[in-house]
This record gives sequence, structure tokens and C-alpha cells, in this order.
Amino acid sequence: MSTTGEQGGLGKYVVVYISMLVIAVIELLIAYRHPSGGQLLVSMLILAFIGALLGVLYFMGLGSENRKAILAFAVFTLFVLATINYGWTDSFRLLLGAPFAK
Amino acid sequence: MSRTEAALGGHHTPVMEPSPFAVPAIKLAMWLFIISDIMTFAACLVAYGFLRNSTPNWPRPFQSSTIISVMVMTFILITSSFLMVLAVRAARAGDRAGAFRWTMVTLAAGAVFAILHIREWYGMIGQGMTFSTNPWGTGLFGGAYYSVTGMELLHVIAALIALLIVGLGYKSGRYGATHIENCGLFWQFINIVWMFVVPLVYLMNAAS
Repeated sequence: MSTTGEQGGLGKYVVVYISMLVIAVIELLIAYRHPSGGQLLVSMLILAFIGALLGVLYFMGLGSENRKAILAFAVFTLFVLATINYGWTDSFRLLLGAPFAK
Repeated sequence: MSRTEAALGGHHTPVMEPSPFAVPAIKLAMWLFIISDIMTFAACLVAYGFLRNSTPNWPRPFQSSTIISVMVMTFILITSSFLMVLAVRAARAGDRAGAFRWTMVTLAAGAVFAILHIREWYGMIGQGMTFSTNPWGTGLFGGAYYSVTGMELLHVIAALIALLIVGLGYKSGRYGATHIENCGLFWQFINIVWMFVVPLVYLMNAAS
């Protein structure tokens, strides 16, 4: 919740709450449709990010914080989250034995 | 209230440089802590993903009973997040009784979540899964599973203790609305992490 935020109705929080529940149910349904590994991962990640975004913006109130604060937090966090994924190519190398397996 | 006072969460203290972004210093500290915690969880999940992707015989042991239990846990945690919003709103409106009540209801929901989580662990241990061995496939699975879910459980237990201490302190007047708000931020963060743990660790490893 924000420092300078609103004290209005609960409507938007109820919508976010229901949306998060719906996202969880959709994830469950997708998992039991047994798509391929890549499709499953992508769809799960997209849904998880949507749920997380709703949580951060509304339940944590980042959406009604100071714009500069949002920018600083988001840029810094997303940059580190992006760079932390540098090792994925190596996991494929371990799996496929290419290109530097020997 | 001056900008400096607002930055300090409304407490009357000697004049000092305002907190960056006009966010109360205590809240800014919580945001920075959460950001550092995001890095920790992200590192755990990326390491888990790395292992899963590079291990051909990765097991998919979660039966439908486990998945149902996890979905119930998810429902409880998302509901507790909504309840925490109610607690924060009540605190900001100066409703001490209401904020305390909602904080304690959130705490109760969180406790149920933690109990179910521990029950899940007992179930996995009962099936022979340890940190380095399991009956289904690569031993790495147990290490990855217990690391990621253990981190989550550790955070939940820490948050429950914080909710209890801050809730009681708020009721007695020792703590202010900003403290409830800070606890709320941490609780919401735990819910958000769970949104990644469920699909990546449980649903992607559900038995066919």
C-alpha cells in the first residue's frame, strides 16, 4: 500500500484477488493439458509474471508510489533479474553436449 | 506535515535530509530488502531451472493429491494477501482494532499455509526423498525442491513472527501504521514468490 495512496473502495483489490485466483486455476489447467516443455515453461512464466505484476502494483501499492521510486526500483531489479539468466545457454550445452562438450 | 516528517513516517524527530523519493525511510528500507530478497529467490529459481533443463532424467513425482494440496495452499496464501490489504487499510485509517483483527486473521491463514507446507514436506520425506536421493530419478531433484520450497517456508515463518510482534505492538500503541504497512509489503512479497514456485516447481513436475 502506498504512503500517499487512496482510501477508496475495495473494488480494485477484490478484482486483483479474483484475478490471482483465476491465474492459479489457469496454470493448473494448462499443466494438465501436458503441452511440450518449452510451451509449458513460457505459458507458466507469463501467467506468473502477470500475477506478480498485479500483486506488486496493487497489493504492494507500488503503482501509487512516487513515479521516480517506481522507475528506480523497476530498472534496478529488472536489470539484475535479466543478467542473472546468463547461464541458460550452458544448461543446454550440458544437455545436448554441444558445442564445447569435449 | 513537512516533507521531512512525512519521509520519517510522521514521527517528530530532528530535521535531517529527506528520504529519497519521499518514501518513508523505514518503508524504503523494506523495499530495498525485498529487492535483495528477489535476487536471492531469482538465483534459487534460476539454479533450479538450470538443473532441470540440463538433467535428462528429471523426475515428475507430484501426484494429483499433492497438486490439490498445493492449490489449496495457493488459495489460502492469495486470500491472506487480500486480508493483509484490509489490515493495512485499517491501519492507515487509524482503526487500531480493525488493523489488529485483520493482521491476526492474516497470521492465522499464514499459519495454516505453513502447516500444510510442512505436511507436504513430511509426505515427500515419507516417500524417500532426501536432499540428495529420491526413488524417481536424479538426486538433484531433492536438493532443488527442498532449497526453493525451504526458502519460501523460512520466509513464511519469519513473516508470521513479524506479523505477531508488529500486530501486538500496533495494538498496544508501540508501533505505527507504517510498521503494519511494512509487514504487509513483506507478506505480499511472499505471496508473489509463491506464484513462481507453484508453476515452476510443482505444476511443471506433476506426474502424467
